[in-house]
Amino acid sequence: MSVAIQSEAIDVAAEYAQLVGGRPGAAVATFTGYVRDHSDQHAVTELELEHYPEMAHKVLESLGQSAAERFGLSNWRIVHRFGRLAVSETIVWVGAVADHRGEAISACELMMDTLKTDAPFWKREQGPAGEQWVASRDTDMARRARWRSGEAQ
Amino acid sequence: MASGSVSITIKLFSTLREALGESKFELAISDISKASAQVDVAAIKVLLSQRGAAWKEAMNQPNLVHALNHKVVFTDAVVSEGDELAFFPPMTGG
Repeated sequence: MSVAIQSEAIDVAAEYAQLVGGRPGAAVATFTGYVRDHSDQHAVTELELEHYPEMAHKVLESLGQSAAERFGLSNWRIVHRFGRLAVSETIVWVGAVADHRGEAISACELMMDTLKTDAPFWKREQGPAGEQWVASRDTDMARRARWRSGEAQ
Repeated sequence: MASGSVSITIKLFSTLREALGESKFELAISDISKASAQVDVAAIKVLLSQRGAAWKEAMNQPNLVHALNHKVVFTDAVVSEGDELAFFPPMTGG
C-alpha cells in the first residue's frame, strides 16, 4: 500500500514480487504503461516528464487509498517515473491485490483513470518535429468522469 | 493578519513555468488585503495578471488549474499566510 515516484526505470518483476509477497490475495491485476514511439500526429523519440513532487505524492497516495476502500484491496502499489524517458521505457506501473478478479482489475483501471487527470505530471514529447507539451485529452477526462458518476463499477 | 499583509509561495509548472520564466517565488499581498477582506485565488490571479501581458494571458487561460497546498481548488478558495499556491495546465501523466 504505497507510492513511489522515481527517475529510475521501474523493475516490474521486483514490484510484482513485492506486491504479491507482502499481502497474498486470490486475485492480482497490474498495469504497465510504456513510452510510445508516436503521438496522434508525429513520431516521438523521447519523453520528458515534469512533476510537482509534494502534490504528486499526496494525490497518488489518496487515489490508492480510495481504490483500496472501494474495492477492498489487501494491497496496492503505484510507481510513476519523472525526468527523461526513452521510447519503450516504463512510465507507470500500478498493481492491486483483491479477493476476486473483478475488484483487482477495476482497481487498476480506477487508479490509472484517476492518475491521468488528477496527478500533477506533464509530458513533453521530443521528436523529429521538435519538442511539444502533450495536451490533455477529452477521452481521459471522460474516463475519469465515469468513476465520479458511478457508471464504472 | 493584523498588519493586513499575507505572504504566500507561488509555484508554476509546465507551460506556465516556461511562458513566465519562473518556477517558484514568494508573493507578499499587502495592497489588496484589507483588515476584514479575505484574499482568494481569484484575487491572486488578478494581482499576477498585472505583471504584464504574458502573465495576463497565463492567468486567463480557460483550462488553468490552481492547487492550494497541494489540492486542486476553485478560484473562491481563501488564501492564508504561508500557503503554497500552484498554477499549471491540465495534467497529462500516466
